[in-house]
Order: sequence, then structure tokens, then C-alpha cells
Amino acid sequence: MTKVKVAMDWLAACAGCEMSVLDTDERLVQLLEKIELTSTPITDLKHPPKEGVTVGILSGTVNNTTNLEVVKEMRERCKILIAMGDCAVFGGIMTMRNFFDTNEALKRAYVETESTVDGIIPNSEELCKPVKAVPVNQVVKVDIHLPGCPPSADAIYYVLSELLEGRIPVLSGENLKYD
Amino acid sequence: MDKMINLKINGRQIRARSGQTVLEAAKAAGIDIPSLCHHPAITPHGACRICLVEIERQRTLQPACTFPVSEGMRVETESPKVVEERKFVLQMLFSERNHYCMFCEMSGDCELQALAYRYGMDRWTYQNPYPKIPVDGTRKYFIMDHNRCILCRRCIRACGELAANNTLGVKFRGAKTMISADMDSPFGESTCVACGTCLQVCPTGALIDRKSAYAGREAQVERTKSVCMFCSVGCGTEIISRSGRVLRVEGEWEEHNKGVLCVAGRFEPVYDNRARIKAPLVKKNGGLVPVAWDEALDTIAARLKTTKANKVGAWTTCKTLNLTMSEFVAVFRGKLGANVGVLEPTLAELELPVGGSLTELVSSDCILVIGADPLSDHRVLGYHIKRARARGASVLLVTENNDSTMGRFADRRFGYEELPRAIRTIQGCASPSVVYGAGTGQKAAEQLGVLKRKAHFIPVFPATNGYHAKVLSLQSGLNSTPLEMAYLLLEDISPGAEVLEWAKKAKFLVVHTSYQGPITETADVILPSLLWSEQEGSIYNLEGKKAAVRKAVPLPEGLIPENEVLTQLAARL
Repeated sequence: MTKVKVAMDWLAACAGCEMSVLDTDERLVQLLEKIELTSTPITDLKHPPKEGVTVGILSGTVNNTTNLEVVKEMRERCKILIAMGDCAVFGGIMTMRNFFDTNEALKRAYVETESTVDGIIPNSEELCKPVKAVPVNQVVKVDIHLPGCPPSADAIYYVLSELLEGRIPVLSGENLKYD
Repeated sequence: MDKMINLKINGRQIRARSGQTVLEAAKAAGIDIPSLCHHPAITPHGACRICLVEIERQRTLQPACTFPVSEGMRVETESPKVVEERKFVLQMLFSERNHYCMFCEMSGDCELQALAYRYGMDRWTYQNPYPKIPVDGTRKYFIMDHNRCILCRRCIRACGELAANNTLGVKFRGAKTMISADMDSPFGESTCVACGTCLQVCPTGALIDRKSAYAGREAQVERTKSVCMFCSVGCGTEIISRSGRVLRVEGEWEEHNKGVLCVAGRFEPVYDNRARIKAPLVKKNGGLVPVAWDEALDTIAARLKTTKANKVGAWTTCKTLNLTMSEFVAVFRGKLGANVGVLEPTLAELELPVGGSLTELVSSDCILVIGADPLSDHRVLGYHIKRARARGASVLLVTENNDSTMGRFADRRFGYEELPRAIRTIQGCASPSVVYGAGTGQKAAEQLGVLKRKAHFIPVFPATNGYHAKVLSLQSGLNSTPLEMAYLLLEDISPGAEVLEWAKKAKFLVVHTSYQGPITETADVILPSLLWSEQEGSIYNLEGKKAAVRKAVPLPEGLIPENEVLTQLAARL
């Protein structure tokens, strides 16, 4: 049986969700008999394969123009897109930046930080620009939402196993948490 | 007699009383209709729209919390239409402000979150507009985070109906609506009296207690039912603790105060940081030295045996357990024959009735307040007088004190010489109450005697458990004869100048108290006593009912309850 191809990427994220994936412990090894991880923050390949994958998992808030590119690419190349974690599902902590003027926020981050001397706001052309911090489903259609900060290893395992059985997972009880 | 109504809820035949709402009828029949703004202690409001149900022949869904039952009504509470509507309302609530659970103190115990889990909300269908919403941290004991507020108005209703303070309201309209205090003052600078009733009823993490924030979820803490020991009202409390540490105090909904507390019972005891006495101390070589209990008690006993009983004075504060006070009297009066008394007035000399309750007070049509200032030192009693007033009662205030906190809430003021006129006014009322305190005086008490059969009498003892001191016929006030030896049981009170002066005159002073202070500096022997959260016993509350004080935390190492100390002392005599 061919393994199901899975790609993962992270946007403005803390890696807590990725830690939770690893927290599935031995179950991950069992999963790897049925899924093939392509590009992930752990395997450190930067793009999902051009021919596409079945399942894509995104964590983190959409926070800058690079995040927008990643989200769009993931949506194109993944049949089923999962938003994992409160940041990808609800917007999360990053959305606090939306209450402030972007330039003020950049100044606070690069110039006014207590340990910085003669700071400047990076303005190289190759760098991305900040955008309004939003959840993934405000940019592209998301097929499965998995809230949690992070979602528990049980919830992550539940979602993946349901998908492998050909079912759309419905979260409830201990698997549905927002913290 | 209430008429009985027959109706059907979810196909089940239910009987309800005329005048009940659909929500009340369902609850009585064991059918759960979810809600957010509803709370059993305050009037229903219909603000949150979560309790919307399908009622036959009604054009739209109706809020069960305000809709009255009628004969033959058919209600569906979890039909697909209702569930879809409820999910929509939840999405609306979440979309309005910044409801992020991951860093919220209330997460896990939040009523809004619980509903979202119940209805399987795994995403937000409406884009959050990211409104910049303030956090008000101006109150000393708790914080208002408007980001988490769902405008259920429980706080407003609690402030108005339960505490009768009417500080809270809303400002602006629509999406701009905000809970506000007075004319939009910061909460900490408003007429808020920090009773914390709003804090207790808030369903989300909008109102957060500072001391206990992030200290433990409901599943992780212990709740101990007890009684507040600040004043003689004796409000029922629940002490929330974890790992032997008090986190916060809440009002008990089933007791006579019905969930209401004041700042002195809810917050101040948890912030007390006076230096605690941790072991018995005896004055040796000019300083106070920690000793074992045996040595301390032997020292006291030896001194008692060599002092004439009439030169020994034993005074206790009223603010102590029934058991302790009784043991105190048994040892010092019964066994020793010494001078025994209490530090605070017991109102015994007034010979006025007791036994009036807060419930009777609130349904009175006329309340005479004399010789007391409830809103300053028996606040929950004061709140209930204001609640009675809100229902139409007239308040007659007899006082010479121009700064009386009751002044603003009195309909008529009388000086003591005008008391007969006030009494005549009361005699014309249907269900009057008399609230009398230590300032009443003999003459006024005699005049009030004529109301004995007609009015509910509520005593305002200056100290907690003054009731028991009255029952034990304890003399109040220190006598002035010079004493060879004095024993002062002070619990956690800091005595005033009069007591300090008196204590200095005794040749040998034993102080039985919880905290260090000016009085302990002059003592020859100091015995440590327990705190309100460590005591186990009972006291009498305002109504003269015995209320159980239960300990919420383990006794600190080496401390013994006061009554046992007295027993051990007696065994040595």
C-alpha cells in the first residue's frame, strides 16, 4: 500500500504544535508506516513536492508576506489542508499586533528594544513585509481545524488516524480544547 | 395559591407554576437549557440569547429565561433549528471581541468556553475585527478585562440587586457598548465598594481576582464552607485553597448572605501580611524567647497559682469561637474565680430582642437604624438595608453622627431626643425592623421596648460573635482596678490604645494572639493563636444561628487551637 504523503509547514509559530506532534511518541513511529513525511520543519525541506501531497498541516499565524506565499503554496499542493493550533485556527497571540500601528510595532521591535544600540528597521528588498495577523482560513480555504495551544498529542493522533481511515475527523470532548 | 400550568418540553409533559419562565420550568423538571447571562440570584435579562428555544406558534425563537409559561405550550430546546441558532449566537459572541483562551485565567472554568466546546465550535466563521479594547486595572483587588466581556450584564445586576450599590452600568451602544462605572470613571476611582459580588458572578474571564489568578482551576482547588469572622453578620463563605494555601474567599449562595460579601470578608483577610507569631514566647533576659508549649504554660500556671484570684484579669475579644469563649469562662471564672470579661460591647445591657434575619429586613417596609453605622463596619447588613429601600422601605436613621455612612440612604434623620417621634412613625408600618448597635444607650433601649412585639430586631454587635458573649453574660469593658496579672485573648485583632494602656498596668501580662504588634511588645508570655482559615468550631451569626467555621488549611507547625491551650492550662491549676 502506498504511503499517504504529508507536508507540514509553520508560519508565525512557536513550535509548540510541532512539539505536540512529537509528543505522540511511539504512535508516530506507527503512523510512519502509513504516512510519508515530505517537507516539514523537522525534515527541513522547504517546499512540498511539486506533484502535491494528500495532507498538509499548517501551524502559526499568517503574519507577513512570506507566510502568505507559504499558505498559498500549501493550499495549491495539498489536497486536504489542516490548520493546527490556536494560531492557525483563531489567529492566536500574534493578533495582538493588530491593535497597533505596524510602523510603531517595528520601531518597538528593532529600535526601542532595551538591549539595542543604534537600531534600524531592516528594509532589504528581499525581506518580507508584515501584514495584518490573521488565521489561515482568512487567506485560503481550510479543510480541517484543530484548535489547541497546542492541541494535545491525542487530538493530533486522532485527526491523522481518522483521515487515514478515510473519515473527516470531528473534534469533541478531550480533543477539543482552546488552551 | 399559584395556578399550575401544563406544558410540553421536548415532548415531555411538564407541570409548572403560573408566573414561571420556560427556563425555570425546564430546570425544575431536570431539563437543561444552556444560558450565559442567566443567574439564579438575579433577575433574568435575556441579553446573551443562548437560551433561545422553539415555542410553538411563536414567529421567532424565544429566550427561555424571560418567556413566561402558558397552558398547553410546546417547547423544543435542542431541535436542529435551535442548535443551529445557538451555534450562530456563539459565533456572534466570539466575533465581537478578543476571546483568546490560551492565556486567559478563566480557561477551563469559563462558561462561554464550555458552551463552545459543547456545541463543537472548532473555528470562527466570522472574521475578528480586532477591536482595541481596554483592560481596567484600577481596582485594588480585581481586574476588568473588557476583551473577554460578553456584555451579559450579570455584574450590573449583581451590583444593583445584590449589593444595592448601583455603580455599574453600560456606556455607548451597539458594538461600542462597554460596562462602565458611574459616569465613566475608572473602576478603582468610582463608587465601587469592592464587595466583589460582580467578580463572583462573571461567567468569563472578564473579571479576574488578582491574588488567585492562574493559581488553580476548579478541579485543582479545594472548597471549604465556613463563616466570615470579620463582623457579627457572619456571612457564609467558601474558602478556596490549594496545597494548604488560601487562594480566595467567595460568598456562599445558600447562607443568609446569599453569595454577597464585603471587602472586609472577601479580600482583606487574604491580603493580611502582619508578622505571625509562630511559637510560644517567654520574656527572658530582657527579650522574648521561643519556648515549648509546656514551658510557656507552666510559667503562666505558676504565676496564676501565686496570684490572688481577684487580682487576675482575663479578657477576651468576642471575635472567637463559641468553644473557645466557653472554655475561657470555664477556666478563668469557673475554675479560678478571676475577673473575666470581653473587650467589646455585648449589647446585653440594652435588653432588646434578637433574631431578626436579613430576609425579614429586606421585606420590611420601615427600618429604624439606631446607634449603628452598618455601611461602615457591617457592610453586608448595610447592603441589605439599601436593598430594602430599593423595594420601597423607608429608612429612619437615629444618630448624632454627621459622618454616618447611612446618612445618604436615610429617608428621615432623628436625634436621640426625637426617638419617640421615630417610634410613632414605625408603629404605623406593617412589618418594621429595628437595627440597633452599641450607641443605642439605655434610655433609647427602654423607649424601643414598645416595639418588641411588632418589629424584627437585628443587633449590630461591634465584634464578631458578640452574640455568644451576650449569651454567656460576659461583662464588657476592662475594669480599672490595678491587676497583678492579666490574660488577654486577642485572636487576630490589633487592640486600641485603651487596651494597650490597661495592659501596661498589669504586673504580668499574657497575650494570646496571632500577630506581633504593640501589645506583644509589652507581654511577659505570648501564646500563638490560630487564624480565621485555621479555626474549627462555630460562632453565632446575625440571626443568632450557629454557623460552622471550618478550617481550610492545615495548622501551622507547632500551633494548637485556643480552646485546647486553655484546657491544658486548666489541667496545670
